[in-house]
Amino acid sequence: MTKRPFLGWFVSPAGLVALGLTAAMAAVFQFSMRAYIPGSLEVGGFTLQNFAALVRPLYALAFWNTILLCFETAAFTLILAYPLAYALVRTRSSAVRSFILIAAVTPLFLGEVVRTYSWMIVLGNNGFLNTLLVKLGLVARPVQMMFTSGGVIAALVHVTMPIMVIMLAAGLSHIDRNCEKAAESLGAGPVRVFLTITLPLSMPGIVAGFSTAFAWTFSAFATPQLIGGGRVSTVSTLIYQLGFSSFNFPFAASLSIVGLALSLAVIALLKQATRPLERLASAT
Amino acid sequence: MKRVLKHFMMVLSSVLVVGGGPSAASAEEKLVVSTWGGSFRDLIDESIAKKFTAETGVKVEYVTGGTMDRLNQAKLAAGKPESDITFTTAHVGWLYANDNLFEKLDLSKIPNAAHLVEQAKISPYHIGAWAYVYTIGYLPDQLPKGVSFDSWEGLWNPALKGMISSPDFDPSHVIAVAAKLSGADAAHWEAGKDKLKALKPNYKAFYTNDANSQQMFATGETPVQVVLSMNAYYMRDQGVPIKLVIPKEGAVLGVDTMGITKGTTKADLAYKFLNIALDPAVQAQIADLKKGSPVVDNAKLLPEVAALPGVFTTPDQWAHQTLIIDHKLRAEKTAEWRKWFAENMMAP
Repeated sequence: MTKRPFLGWFVSPAGLVALGLTAAMAAVFQFSMRAYIPGSLEVGGFTLQNFAALVRPLYALAFWNTILLCFETAAFTLILAYPLAYALVRTRSSAVRSFILIAAVTPLFLGEVVRTYSWMIVLGNNGFLNTLLVKLGLVARPVQMMFTSGGVIAALVHVTMPIMVIMLAAGLSHIDRNCEKAAESLGAGPVRVFLTITLPLSMPGIVAGFSTAFAWTFSAFATPQLIGGGRVSTVSTLIYQLGFSSFNFPFAASLSIVGLALSLAVIALLKQATRPLERLASAT
Repeated sequence: MKRVLKHFMMVLSSVLVVGGGPSAASAEEKLVVSTWGGSFRDLIDESIAKKFTAETGVKVEYVTGGTMDRLNQAKLAAGKPESDITFTTAHVGWLYANDNLFEKLDLSKIPNAAHLVEQAKISPYHIGAWAYVYTIGYLPDQLPKGVSFDSWEGLWNPALKGMISSPDFDPSHVIAVAAKLSGADAAHWEAGKDKLKALKPNYKAFYTNDANSQQMFATGETPVQVVLSMNAYYMRDQGVPIKLVIPKEGAVLGVDTMGITKGTTKADLAYKFLNIALDPAVQAQIADLKKGSPVVDNAKLLPEVAALPGVFTTPDQWAHQTLIIDHKLRAEKTAEWRKWFAENMMAP
């Protein structure tokens, strides 16, 4: 049997973190099944009332809004990130590669709050975008972009872009270029090569990037809270409001548990739905 | 497996030793104050702590965080508190009191409390440190013609459609106002539900904190707000031309309070700190620095500060310019109010 003398040292910190996370999740779970006592931090006896209350229109709408927001953000990020990742992997110029890499990854070095405030300056009625549109005569009055789903999605796309570019680039760099060359030698044009060879073979990167962007958006808080201005309700903003404004921790905990379950379920469904595409990629 | 477990226990004990070991600095005498961060921490440090250290030689250290973060921390540390004094809002102070996280105050040990105004005597456990109001603030150059705020009714003017905002974290101000305009009070807030719903078209957004409120004013996104007076004066000093009014029904009074954390071993020092906080000169300094209203009746303010709306210096102002929501009621009703507000006012 192979000796692994450092296994214990390597596994222990991860085990410790896992233990802490499990304990925290267990605490959230038990909170979700306790009754709320107005005016007190103490919680009451066990109840399922918190979960039953989640079917009210406001909360059902928040779940629906969140899923929609996640899909739209992941989809727009994919559309914008793919050409960038493609250029990053395929360009022969190291200067262009460095430029794309820096441009794509820089947003990661800014905090979410800083990025969000920057977008507020861009999207405001007197912001950069509206000033430009009005000065160019494209619109007579500023277009309302703040406090809308569109504004929230624009900022979230910026947040998720770096991770999507990195994942797509990893996927694209693993494609065997000989497959594309073989297709070209058989008479396929660039568009056909891309649609029948490159795109299917980059499916693992697309699925990984899309799933990550989806999960990341699901837990986004500062962006929907600040750019949404209370007009775009998501699961994370509701959890904050219920827990930290209303002191109703049991209800906030039940929302967290259902949010987590929903997020896992959607990602599992996504994985299931894209399995044929991944299989196609392996077969190509 | 045994080896992995052994390493696991070693790592765990190392973490506990490094994280929980006593520091050399802990031997030095100090008073720990739990407060909000940023300008509020600076305010306490510049006004109260400076004088306290000068008089006692004891340093003041701070545990800073949001209102609810610190409340949770205090609950987790119950019995072995991380701070000796806690600053919090009046209604959240009731949550501390209800959960036995505050010592019962002996006002005979706080001589300056003899001048405390009635509105700042919140409970046997916490007393006011300074006061403020939530009231109507607006940018005059962006206000439609014909709109005035002599009364809170002005907020309902249809000309303000899509122009106003208020905090998303606490709807109690507009709920109390709507109840008052409907002939009731906050305890019977349901009477104002229809009035509140009539305000919905005028809302453009809801701000999430003071910085967010500042941003919405500065960009002109919401030129009319139900705003914290101290925050409005801060913005005015930064060059945003905000005008603040006290409507005839009064502005919604808020009191930031202080209490002695249950289980402190430095109660005598804590009482000294509280007494210094209510010193008339310190109260005047608080009003000067942050435009918070003094909570004692013997503070001598600069005339230009005393003239500010929301800074109260006479019994008549305290009686007629404030709209008071019972702080205990507010602590109990916040969740219910917040839920109703989210479902009926904030939801599209």
